[in-house]
Amino acid sequence: MSKLKLNLGPQHPSTHGVLRLILELDGERIISCEPDVGYLHRGMEKMAEKLSYIQYLPTVDRIDYLAGFFYSELLCRTVENALGVKLSDRVKAIRVMMLELNRIASHLLWIGAFLMDLGAVSPFFYAFREREQILQYFEKVTGQRMMNNYFVFGGVRRDVFDLDDIENFLDILPEKIEDYNKIITENPIFRKRTEGKGVLKIPAALNGGITGVNLRASGMSLDFRLRDSLYSGFDFRPVVLEEGDSFARYKARILELEESAKIVRQALNYLKKGGDLEQDLINPLTLKLPEGEFQSEIEAPRGLASCYIKSDGGKAPYRLKWRTGSYYSVNLLRKLLVGEYLNDAIAIAGSLDIILPEVDK
Amino acid sequence: MLKCIIGMLTVFKHLFKKPVTLEYPEKKKDVSEHFRGKPVVKNCARCYCCIKVCPTGAISMTKEEFKIDLKKCIFCGNCAYYCPKGAIKMSSEYELASQDKNDLELVYRLEGVNDR
Repeated sequence: MSKLKLNLGPQHPSTHGVLRLILELDGERIISCEPDVGYLHRGMEKMAEKLSYIQYLPTVDRIDYLAGFFYSELLCRTVENALGVKLSDRVKAIRVMMLELNRIASHLLWIGAFLMDLGAVSPFFYAFREREQILQYFEKVTGQRMMNNYFVFGGVRRDVFDLDDIENFLDILPEKIEDYNKIITENPIFRKRTEGKGVLKIPAALNGGITGVNLRASGMSLDFRLRDSLYSGFDFRPVVLEEGDSFARYKARILELEESAKIVRQALNYLKKGGDLEQDLINPLTLKLPEGEFQSEIEAPRGLASCYIKSDGGKAPYRLKWRTGSYYSVNLLRKLLVGEYLNDAIAIAGSLDIILPEVDK
Repeated sequence: MLKCIIGMLTVFKHLFKKPVTLEYPEKKKDVSEHFRGKPVVKNCARCYCCIKVCPTGAISMTKEEFKIDLKKCIFCGNCAYYCPKGAIKMSSEYELASQDKNDLELVYRLEGVNDR
């Protein structure tokens, strides 16, 4: 039988942006897969060399538009570490609350989009309905729904208020998750399409540089939040599942919603006690990093994200490098899709939670 | 089979709930106090701070005019946040689409400075 070359994307609606997969097929089996990325390249790293740090800060939200807070936090943290700025407890609690709410919003959107990939439409609307409450709160406090630009060097833009909104959201979240379990998790069709598909083992995952939920769903307990000084004092445990298939990756994200809600609840209880921000903001017009190399990392929804800055003492970094989780997930498709059916290609690619702006930067 | 029916019942429950969507052009959502919409300038002291923090170079100033190019503006709010006089405010206006490019050039007269 002759081989067939098939282009999946870059205009395919299920690829969450513009991912192009060049598949080689034997009948319906995939023999090889070659991801082609770069359609969304905006030069985020080169841009940093021209702009001052404060000018660059609003643009980093756009690296991953679903989890912008994480990249803001990462740039702020790198600069703060380089200058030796300490954050007060209240600022830390605000940042943790915002980050974890953002993680919940990101995972909710993924659940909706993944189910949409598989052909189920209703869960998409349910997930968006819950996510809307988080975005409304973001709009209230930060001024915009997704491109928040809320963290600044040395603190946050303004104190949080209307904390009851978050409390209400956390109160209804468990019953919504129960609904998801009834509709999705226990659905036999969904399980048949995901169980045992795209199995990822720990050695292959580590070789491919996979981190985050995808790695934890394969049975390795690696969560960078545990060694993160921002999260010290918060009680949570990483979600670890053994199977490593598409279903485990789905299940891990559902369980992580609850875990993140737990962290938000703790931050909320702390913030409700009140108090001043006590932040020592850095003047952005005179901000210069000392000469040297600085690096920091954070557990983003799509895996380990890190920011590396090499500074020559000037107003702008000499070189800035982002490490994003999705980039490694895309590369993994090369191995993960081989031997699977074409029908499962989207189900497997979708389960890795790939965001293309993050891949191409 | 039973699980399918439970799932279906869960979905059907939503038939009897109130809709969560808004019929957009007729009904509009109220935006919050801190919403970052169209920037409005008043009583500018010309310290050029906003130009220095703007990531896209959307702001320009001449002797009499303060110009904001909405084609370039990304509504990050840096200018409003770092303005020492509080002269730039992000208003709650958000429907800014236009068929004419010239509508997207905001020009504010700088009168207060000349009076001094």
